[in-house]
Amino acid sequence: MKRWLTGAVSWFACLGLLAVPLPGEGAETIKIGVTQPLTGVVAASGNYVAQGARIAESLLNAKGGILGKKVELIVEDNKSNPVEAVATAEKLIVRDKVPVLMGAWSSTYTLAVMPKLMEYSVPMVVETSSSGKITTSGNPWIFRISPTSAMEAVAMAPHVKKFNVKKADFLSVNNDWGRGAADEFAKMLQKQGIRIGTRETMDAKAQDLSAQLAKIKASGGDTLFLTTGVEQITLVLKQAKEQRLAHKIITTGGSSSPDQLIEQAGAAAEGSYHILFFAPWFPEAAPYPALAKEFVAEWKKRGYNFAGLTEGFRGYDGIMTIAAAITKAGKADAKSIQKALWDVQVQGVNGPIKFMKEGPKGRESGQSQPNVFIVQIAQGKVALPGFMKK
Amino acid sequence: MRRWLPCIWVAFLVSVPLWMRNQYYLHILISTGIFAVAAMSLNLLLGYTGQLSLGHVAFFGIGAYTSALVSLGFDLQLSEGYTFVFEPRPVWLGFLCGVAAAGFFGWIIGRLSFRVRGAYFVIVTVSFAEVVKLVALNWVDLTEGPMALNNIPPVTLSFPGLGELTFWKKEPNYYLVLAVCLLSYLVIRRLVFSRAGRAFIALRENEALAESVGVDVTRFLVLAAVVSAAIAGAAGGLYAHYIKIVDPDIFLFIYTVTMVIMVVAGGKGTLLGPVVGAVIFGILPEALREAARPEVQWIIYGLFMILIVFFLPDGIVPAVSGRLRPRLSPARGDTAEEAA
Amino acid sequence: MDQFLQHILNGIVLGGSYALLGIGLTLIFGIMYVVNFTHGELYAFGAYVVFAVVVALEGNFFLALLLAVVLGAVLGGGIEWALLRPLRGASIDTTMLVMIGAWIALQNTEQLLWTGVAKAIRHPFPEAPLVVGPVSISWIRIFVFFAALVLIAGSHLFIRRSRLGAAMRATFQDRETAALMGVNIDAVHTFTFAFGSGLAAAAGALLGPVFVVFPTMGDLAALKAFAIVIMGGMGNFIGATLGGFILGIAEELGAGYISSGYRDAMGFLIIIAVLLFKPTGLFARAERIG
Repeated sequence: MKRWLTGAVSWFACLGLLAVPLPGEGAETIKIGVTQPLTGVVAASGNYVAQGARIAESLLNAKGGILGKKVELIVEDNKSNPVEAVATAEKLIVRDKVPVLMGAWSSTYTLAVMPKLMEYSVPMVVETSSSGKITTSGNPWIFRISPTSAMEAVAMAPHVKKFNVKKADFLSVNNDWGRGAADEFAKMLQKQGIRIGTRETMDAKAQDLSAQLAKIKASGGDTLFLTTGVEQITLVLKQAKEQRLAHKIITTGGSSSPDQLIEQAGAAAEGSYHILFFAPWFPEAAPYPALAKEFVAEWKKRGYNFAGLTEGFRGYDGIMTIAAAITKAGKADAKSIQKALWDVQVQGVNGPIKFMKEGPKGRESGQSQPNVFIVQIAQGKVALPGFMKK
Repeated sequence: MRRWLPCIWVAFLVSVPLWMRNQYYLHILISTGIFAVAAMSLNLLLGYTGQLSLGHVAFFGIGAYTSALVSLGFDLQLSEGYTFVFEPRPVWLGFLCGVAAAGFFGWIIGRLSFRVRGAYFVIVTVSFAEVVKLVALNWVDLTEGPMALNNIPPVTLSFPGLGELTFWKKEPNYYLVLAVCLLSYLVIRRLVFSRAGRAFIALRENEALAESVGVDVTRFLVLAAVVSAAIAGAAGGLYAHYIKIVDPDIFLFIYTVTMVIMVVAGGKGTLLGPVVGAVIFGILPEALREAARPEVQWIIYGLFMILIVFFLPDGIVPAVSGRLRPRLSPARGDTAEEAA
Repeated sequence: MDQFLQHILNGIVLGGSYALLGIGLTLIFGIMYVVNFTHGELYAFGAYVVFAVVVALEGNFFLALLLAVVLGAVLGGGIEWALLRPLRGASIDTTMLVMIGAWIALQNTEQLLWTGVAKAIRHPFPEAPLVVGPVSISWIRIFVFFAALVLIAGSHLFIRRSRLGAAMRATFQDRETAALMGVNIDAVHTFTFAFGSGLAAAAGALLGPVFVVFPTMGDLAALKAFAIVIMGGMGNFIGATLGGFILGIAEELGAGYISSGYRDAMGFLIIIAVLLFKPTGLFARAERIG
């Protein structure tokens, strides 16, 4: 008898805990939900994106908001974990009743969230994830502004000759993003008649890459395409130097944060190239220089880490895209926003944003075609290679 | 009166989706239910048999992956030119396969434990979970590795003549989880009250003595391991078809730790202990979501664990329900833990 | 062949630090019979101390290493005194659970203080590696190797020659008799835990600058430490030392020739294999310290 009572008491106590007051309605605002990894292994990037989003929020509110109402960003932490990503999406849609989302950073988290979008009919702007599966799964609520690895490879194709690659090796982190990048770049290089050497992978948490690097060293290649997060890039650069790897190193994926590499890898980062989607040191090379300069200035004004700009702009572009759609739709309602997203044309920090249909007929997702920048670390600083200058 | 209380309780649980409309709360209850099943299964090994299995999440994950793979279908290239193709099968079949696969690995661990005990057993089980995780992570052809298995179909029941019911919404999933919860509870209860159950407790209290009076220690250890693993596999299957995505992170040690906290805090060696633990530690993180950062929450749980061990070594359920233990349960008495 | 030599060299260097980890744990395990889940956290703690001193306070690198070891020992002693001593005599499950609680609290404190983002530690050694024929090795790794050797030799001498070491060995062999002979068992326990934790912190402090520092780095380290303890036999100092080197080399060769993805699985597979076939450890003639 007592044990059942115990169970009942605990049960009700906990249910009571759930009666945490819901966010008050207050003045009517336009809510936008954001789910990003603010803690966990990729927290640095998630926080940068959230910071970019916040800049967009304030800039929008300074100009009077959207449709005369203030913009309210509700940012949830998905803890670098796909299951949490699903939980945050659920919470944002059901508890906070947001009509539109932005997220979830990693392809794995975004893929996890996608069934929820179908379940509740809410659109989401994807700002970072690069897996091809996201836009080809037949989910009409997905609108992506970040490039797939395929697009990145295609954008890189015309510049490959300048690197004089004869045989290329790959070292990628063992996930969708890393493997996808290696696949796409390999395809692109092979089309240009370049031979592929060895393709190595590493666990996201691996610290000792000497085994992989030893194999790459013995492969006879001259260029190494590296795809992983900035901490692991630091390790690879340092260990590559230790092993006297002669390869030219090119990082892909846009998460390489060259400033952080210079600081943490020091001399080992010298000479490496990095493919980025925004080059904050050279705003004049961006498609809309004035906008880029304004964004960089605002970021610096808030004291955010400069190294984060290479990712923070995604949050900014994402929110601006959503804002444009809401304005066009005339109301903050999920279905109207989804319709409106097809018609928007936004000037983003990365470049023009416009969605093209991609995926199975009748259930296409939206995909925009972004720009690509290549920088090099030379003499301890970030430099723009000659062929990138306007 | 005593007899009816559980039935009232169950009736109440059954009624919940009828008046609780909030989808988010239902989601929390469903997750809690899945954890409760897992915690109950761990309790069988940890609480009743006294085996310190810290790799329990491996069974959960094996159940999840097996069920997901069976219902999604997969291709495996075994050699040049020959690809083994497995067609997607109905979800309920996947679920049963998950239970069976987990049970099988439980049998292996049970046999292993015949050779090692105590601290060594702990390490073996932890290593087992890590190896399984690494396999899930690296055998990308089969498990998709870190790319995760997604688009896992929800449970579908076909009633001949009546059509099909697919569990997209929360309500049917809630009932499914509740059903599995009750079933697991009843199975464990049955086991605990039987001869096997008494053997488990004998094992836990004094293995040498048990053996000397003729208890077949190996056989009962293996039995406990198999049932425990199978139920954990069931929880894993529920997870796979509800969350609809499975990735190698499911094998993280932290989930084993979560289950251990639920069992220990709730009351190991009691039937209701793990359920109470699951309820507390399933709902607490959600309730605290606004109030405290996840790191702070975990620090609190860690300290909480230490406090429980110091002050309530038998867990919450025994402490709250007092020293009066009805003859219903063969749960451990109030003797403090002794040196092994 | 070059690759092979490089792998062996890498394995030996890594092995030195692994040995430190293993020795620390085997002492704790052997004398106190505690499943020490905080061992990995002390490893991470050592690395974070170096990070804090070198990066945040811009202190001297070598001073930071020393501080890491000392503070690690102090923290270890504190944990033993506060958590384990009151539970003296309790069953192994109880102490294990307390250790798990402490582990969670420690790891998340680190996470809270420094976030989950990995940190790099700048060291004063040249970046360019030392090249000897077909193999190359960075200076920091050479330093780490020799530092580890010094610590291992020092610990061994201490346990063999000093009174405290004798007390530890006596407690391990036969606790009751040692107590009867006047050995202060409580003090031995606290000291052992502190000593083992200090070694773990040393391993972390040495390896931190080689790789990067992040809050969960201790988890894998702890599991490898357990693998080494099992390989060498509980309480077996020499066994743990050899086990550390074996693990380092096995990992390197496994990663190089079998699969780089399964590198970390080497430790676990070794554990399972050893426990199945030779549970007392590869080197144990009889379980003993020294």
